Amino acid sequence: MNNRFGIKDFVTILLLVVVLIAVLLSMVQKTRMELALEATRSKLGEIEQQSLQLQRIVEKGFAERPTVVVQPTGNAAGSSGGANAGASGAAVANDAWARPGVKIERWPMPTPASDPSKMPGFAVGGEFVELFEAQPAKLVPFISGDVYYTRVLERVCEPLATFDPKTLKLKGQLADAWQVDPDGLWVRAHINPRARFSDGSPVTSEDVRWTYVDYVLNPLIEAERTRSTMDNLKEVKVIDDLTVEFIFKEPLFTNAINALGLAILPKAYYARFEPTQVNQGTGLMMGSGPFRFERLPTGPDDLDSQWTPGQDVVLVRNEAYWAEKPSLAGMRFKSIKDDLGRLVAYRNGEGSMMLPTSPQFNSVLKEVPKEGEPRFEEVNYALKWVNMRCGYTFIAWQCGPRAGKESTPFADKRVRRAMTHLLDREKMIRDIWDGIGIVSKGPMNPESPASDPATKPLAFDPEKAKALLAEAGWKDRNGDGVLENENGDPFEFEYTYATGGEIAERLARFAKDSFAKAGIVMTTRPVDWSRYQEILKLRDFDAITLAWGNNAPESDPRQIWHSESTKEGGDNFIQWRSADGDALIEKGRRTMDEAERMQVWRELEALIAEEQPYTFVRVAPWLRFVKREFGNVNTYRTGLEPQEFFKTTSATAVPAPSGG
Amino acid sequence: MVNYLIRRLCLMVPTVLGITFMVFMLLALAPGGIGAGLAVSGGQMSDTSKAAQMQAYLEDRYGLNDPVVVQYLRWLGRISPVKFGERDLRTPIGDRVSAPREIVEPPMGWAFPVPPKPEVVFTPIVAASGGADQASEQIVEFKKLQREAEGARRAYIGSVRFFKDTLADYVREKGAPWTSRLEPKGGAEPDKFRDLEFGDPAKDANPKAAALKEAAADMHLKWAKAEETRQRALIAFRAKPYPESGIPIIPGVVSLDTPDLGVAFSKNRPVWDLIATALPVTLLINAIAFPISYLVAIPTGILASVRRGGWFDVGSGLAFLSLYSIPTVLAGVFAIGFLANKQYLGLFPVSGLHASGAESYTFLPYFDDAGTWHEGWLVDTLWHIALPILCLVYTSFAVLSKQTRAAMLENFNADYVRTAKAKGVSRKDVVMRHVFRNSLLPLITMFVGIFPAMLAGSVVIERIFTIPGMGSLILEAIDLRDREIILANTFMIACVNLLALLLADILYAVADPRVSYE
Repeated sequence: MNNRFGIKDFVTILLLVVVLIAVLLSMVQKTRMELALEATRSKLGEIEQQSLQLQRIVEKGFAERPTVVVQPTGNAAGSSGGANAGASGAAVANDAWARPGVKIERWPMPTPASDPSKMPGFAVGGEFVELFEAQPAKLVPFISGDVYYTRVLERVCEPLATFDPKTLKLKGQLADAWQVDPDGLWVRAHINPRARFSDGSPVTSEDVRWTYVDYVLNPLIEAERTRSTMDNLKEVKVIDDLTVEFIFKEPLFTNAINALGLAILPKAYYARFEPTQVNQGTGLMMGSGPFRFERLPTGPDDLDSQWTPGQDVVLVRNEAYWAEKPSLAGMRFKSIKDDLGRLVAYRNGEGSMMLPTSPQFNSVLKEVPKEGEPRFEEVNYALKWVNMRCGYTFIAWQCGPRAGKESTPFADKRVRRAMTHLLDREKMIRDIWDGIGIVSKGPMNPESPASDPATKPLAFDPEKAKALLAEAGWKDRNGDGVLENENGDPFEFEYTYATGGEIAERLARFAKDSFAKAGIVMTTRPVDWSRYQEILKLRDFDAITLAWGNNAPESDPRQIWHSESTKEGGDNFIQWRSADGDALIEKGRRTMDEAERMQVWRELEALIAEEQPYTFVRVAPWLRFVKREFGNVNTYRTGLEPQEFFKTTSATAVPAPSGG
Repeated sequence: MVNYLIRRLCLMVPTVLGITFMVFMLLALAPGGIGAGLAVSGGQMSDTSKAAQMQAYLEDRYGLNDPVVVQYLRWLGRISPVKFGERDLRTPIGDRVSAPREIVEPPMGWAFPVPPKPEVVFTPIVAASGGADQASEQIVEFKKLQREAEGARRAYIGSVRFFKDTLADYVREKGAPWTSRLEPKGGAEPDKFRDLEFGDPAKDANPKAAALKEAAADMHLKWAKAEETRQRALIAFRAKPYPESGIPIIPGVVSLDTPDLGVAFSKNRPVWDLIATALPVTLLINAIAFPISYLVAIPTGILASVRRGGWFDVGSGLAFLSLYSIPTVLAGVFAIGFLANKQYLGLFPVSGLHASGAESYTFLPYFDDAGTWHEGWLVDTLWHIALPILCLVYTSFAVLSKQTRAAMLENFNADYVRTAKAKGVSRKDVVMRHVFRNSLLPLITMFVGIFPAMLAGSVVIERIFTIPGMGSLILEAIDLRDREIILANTFMIACVNLLALLLADILYAVADPRVSYE
């Protein structure tokens, strides 16, 4: 009996196993530490290399480029003065690169929209931790596509031109000058000779050409998302080391932004990898931006060192940054999927910035703090503002035949207007979105110059709606409380929305009640989000709710509003056809002059407001909580510019928030 | 016994096939179909993405246009270790390179005759004699051809799409009754218009006739180019720029190769990589959680059965059942809201597996010279997974301890126990040697359930605490209808489940001499 396997033996074995595992893990950890040490060493070496290169540039630079004034980069108080000197230096540069006879637009060295060094409590260093709501699947330029990737990309890579945070006009980033063909067929850009990638190598026209032709347009690279926006690009020509020309098939206003707005990648770095390695990469992101990845593979043998989902994204200041370096020592992006968990982590100090939900935003501000503790706003900025990245929610009405069969009542403009008049959108925002949001009036972002402040959203006016419906033939003919047309058909329609969101449910209930009051029967069809694409493609709905995102001050309206886009592949799924609209869209797309074009877009906005093919419900403002220990937090029309932030060391100096 | 094992193992093959087939069909039948989540990935739509182009590209890239059964067979072919036909090549970095895919002929050959397939005579660079330099030249050439072929293929697919759109326009101009044959979404399926006569565009009154002819000509041109570049790439492929993958059984017909789980649609990464990063996390958490739940529940169950009806029995039963009835979601939220929130207790971190910068921690905790405590990697990790484990284990006590208790009680009443007691065996020996050992059978049944559960991870807990484990992976995959991840996961879990059931049957025989499979 004694040779039985007993509890004691089990415990002994268990302990042994635990000890073995502990030893094994500690060995693994030791290796890890050694690797980390190795990484630090190699980084040190890199920095040495960079400083050497910089030194060489300083020594040789004067002789080679007599017109360029080299200034010490850094965060010294006088650095913006240095940038101006650089700008005036560039102005005397010769224009041999340019096409003769076409206006050259010149840009000074990029500088922060608001200079952090002039703020009280300014200090250098510190890490800014942004909390993401989801895990980005991968961070590889143009192969990823979500918003989180964009937020990281904008810190790490730079395009030739960006939108000015205050004016929303294009301004030079990597480019110090460009020419745009008045006929819209080409754009020629000159790269700032001081521009450097984070490995210290210069940004050349070949990098630009390579990024477009051999990366985005390379069929072996899975950048289809970006590639499909480039179908008007005919050719990218290298003129000289710093000059590149884009040639287009058709003259469209989007050409300039397509040519100048793509982040430029270092050819020498990306060409080290096979296309499959880039496609399947998770953290291959390098550029010329103010921050860089802390760990980046040096080559194909080192792919294991790239960032993978599940880890924090860690960026460090690009010490070789060619323009004014940021004050923060680094940025970290942490994903916390649970809403409550995110707020708790933020308040525990694990994050410097988070995106609250609407109820969180309100409840935290209303909170009464415990004895002796500061109120929430005293230690945090609670920011709420509308910027060019704000999208809008809408209810789309089927103006054409549903799924190619019978047409809906919404083919009549008066009915569509009546539907909008029936919805009290102020109240909807109050009840459904906790009062956060503004009533949307049209497809143009309210911050964009394409939107006319004179155009107002249709008012909540049930009486007017009734009159309009009666005019269109919808009256309660048999006294049952439901409207009928001449044939006695009741006014009934189906409302499609995506399941899974409380907001969508509440919106559906609100709409149903509002329409019922006017004698319109609304049935609801909740569907899974993955079916939306199919429903939209088949045009198989009476009314559907959706939201369009936004990423730039103006976008090409053709895809959504032109009657050509009612065909398969177009996003005019409501089949709204308007000859006037088509004419305006065609005219606007071919108008190169910005002011003139904005006028066209404003006319289009007014026309759409008049026609009401959508009932525009709400523009969602950006909500952010940011710790007050960070200074120079400004709300811009482009969003936020974290590279301008600094972490204050003095406990008393709490800079005032701006905007809001 | 051996016979039995072989029989069971053989039966597993059709079972696994059946499971994967069911899952595949369910995915295909789901509204929106396979890959519906791709076009609107992440719940985001933007007006700049040209949805149709993207779709055509994805359909071609993943073969989503083929019949579902063909797609299933293709998947099976990849997952099977036995391969038929041309062998893949393997690059030095371990990528598989397959032969360039076939190109579908242009539609409507009866109306717009397709030109003959171009005959390509082409001598690729072969490195047989040349050594390293020539080998790299051959690879460079092959890559160039690959890229050309892919580009031409894409252009051709775009032109087919354009041709179909133009055909739809043509039919619309013709009016009823032709228009009724259009697809509900407005496109035209060329096969439905076999009886449509196309005249000379010069004479055809239809204003779209010329455009249609032009579209057909363009399509044929692009097809010829795609076909030509494909054949070149194929010839270069057959010259084997890289070594062949796998082991041949019958050369050129059957070979053995490692199963290929494919590339995830939504993340564009090999499924195996995704599983390899998610699995250790789930395993770690479960490897701690399961022993805890067993070490608490089984002794409690034994003790409760020994003192049946006593305060311990009632108390433990009450406590475990109350815990069992708290939903995990609620417990998770409470744990974060009270235990992790610094406004309350703030004892634990909110989410994730490690603190920021934990990569450079030491493994074990230590005090430095100044007397400051450094928690080290081990403690930090345990501290991070404490809340998830708490949420994972508290519900498991009830079932396990009640099972143990019930099995023990049943045996307490058995004759042999009375005999043992009568012959004077000590109480401890009666409980542990006689009753407990005989109560193991139901516990074994429950025990093997651990193995698949170990792999599956907990969807709810992983979401609440943002743990990048298997639960998160599969949930995201289902959201985006990512067929490859779902199938790979199902396949894996099905295999483990079947093996675990087999293990259970073997353990029965070990634990209970009465069980025999002869």
